[in-house]
Amino acid sequence: MRQQEFIGLQNYREVLADKFFWTSFTNTIVYTLVTVPLQMILGLFVAILVNGIKKFQVTFRVLNYLPVITSWVIASLIFRYVFNTEGLLNYFLSQVLHVTASNIRWLDSRWSGLTVAMILGIWKGIGWNMVIFLAALQQVPIDLYEAAAIDGCNGIQKFFKITLPGIKGTILFVWVMLTIGGFNVFTSIKMITGGNPAHQTDTILTWMYYKAFSTGKFGYSAAVSFIMAFTLGIMAIFQFKAMRNRDRELEEIG
Amino acid sequence: MKEKKSVIFFRYALLTIGVILSCLPMIYMISTSLRPNGALYEYPPRFFPQLQDVTVENYQYIISQNKFYINFFNSVIVSVSTVALAAIISSGLAFVIARFQFPGRKVLFGFIIVTMIIPGTTLIVPQFELAVKLKVVNKLWGLIPFYTAWVIPFSTFMIKGFMENIPDEIIEAATIDGADIFTVFFRIAIPLSTPAIASVSIFNFLTAWEEYPWANTVINDNAIRTLPIAIAGFFGQHQFTQWGYVFAMSALSLIPVILVFILFQKYFVTGLTAGSVKG
Repeated sequence: MRQQEFIGLQNYREVLADKFFWTSFTNTIVYTLVTVPLQMILGLFVAILVNGIKKFQVTFRVLNYLPVITSWVIASLIFRYVFNTEGLLNYFLSQVLHVTASNIRWLDSRWSGLTVAMILGIWKGIGWNMVIFLAALQQVPIDLYEAAAIDGCNGIQKFFKITLPGIKGTILFVWVMLTIGGFNVFTSIKMITGGNPAHQTDTILTWMYYKAFSTGKFGYSAAVSFIMAFTLGIMAIFQFKAMRNRDRELEEIG
Repeated sequence: MKEKKSVIFFRYALLTIGVILSCLPMIYMISTSLRPNGALYEYPPRFFPQLQDVTVENYQYIISQNKFYINFFNSVIVSVSTVALAAIISSGLAFVIARFQFPGRKVLFGFIIVTMIIPGTTLIVPQFELAVKLKVVNKLWGLIPFYTAWVIPFSTFMIKGFMENIPDEIIEAATIDGADIFTVFFRIAIPLSTPAIASVSIFNFLTAWEEYPWANTVINDNAIRTLPIAIAGFFGQHQFTQWGYVFAMSALSLIPVILVFILFQKYFVTGLTAGSVKG
């Protein structure tokens, strides 16, 4: 091994002055801000629907879970194939629906490339959200709903006054787990856009990976790694705090 | 409460649309794997192949290759070892944290939570340097300790939730009857936490079976590749990607996962519930 020299915070300075790092940072934040709430809302919506039916509950649960157990590599390859310039989606849009004049190069620009990765993330995540929310919905005491019905609450009021408070703990748990997952998006970006064009679609992890394994800048990447771990840690502390406050409130009430 | 027929119908209709959307990409994968491998992108692209074109030649090609069995077997070794090791270590850890008071208990649990918040992929670069130092780069078994370390925090967290709920009376009764701590662990704690252990084991199996970034980083030799890197390799290997082969191999690699999932479906939901809903 080569002689290693202690260089203090040099790597951190380099990372924080690097516009590519900030592009990847922004992309990761956007990815997380878009995919986390949409997965949760759609997952909760499907869970409520499944909870409201009697027949075929298991069938719907299993089929909705299929994307979750599909591996990231396989799912990314399917999406790449569908969104390719000569792929099925472009053919469908231009030749069948006639809404686009020519084939769109989905994977060749920053926001459309990221959008494809985000659609994949949402598609793949709904099933997990559904299973967890479904379990939580089944724990909300049924007599609360009956009491609310007697008091003349409609469905929307019941949702906001009983369902949401009743599954608050689960919502926070899911929120923490999905935020961690969002920050760790890697395989889909690597396989769908590969960070192209010119690192415009890189996320923190793909950028870090590129710097370490393609340019050999391990110190730089280790600094990125630490910055990201630090950010995740701070966020999780806030999220867990929110969770604990909620528990304390419940204890005071109950 | 009586509900209107139209409301119920509406629910089924929405759910059916949702299921179609979630299955569409998979169906397209299967349908692509069933057509001739010739063209890079067929034109016009079809969702379903024309009936006279349907062929299993892609599957025949994949299963005629020795490589496929090697990749498959490698994935089995790594996944099964990860599941077994993680189950043993996490249930032990969970038992100690859930049932005993000792100095450092909070710190230990704090470490577990922190490692859960910062998953393995975040630390891939320092981990690589560690793997180089430990001389486990480019070794199949070298994947196992890393995967195990990745999944232990979440597994411990989930199993701990279950073990905390074991009534004290059962354990006291056993202790009075002369059971030592190992008997309590193996005869009471483990059997009563089976749903949690089973559910995290499915989860761990999936994680190890599909893991790509780390395996792709530390494994070079063809002979020790796991399935995900083999599939991804197909994609980048040639000037043009042979999508028929890619998707045939993908479909085959999904079979064990779907089998495991369907067989343990029952455990999956109960176990997941126990840890998260308490949250």
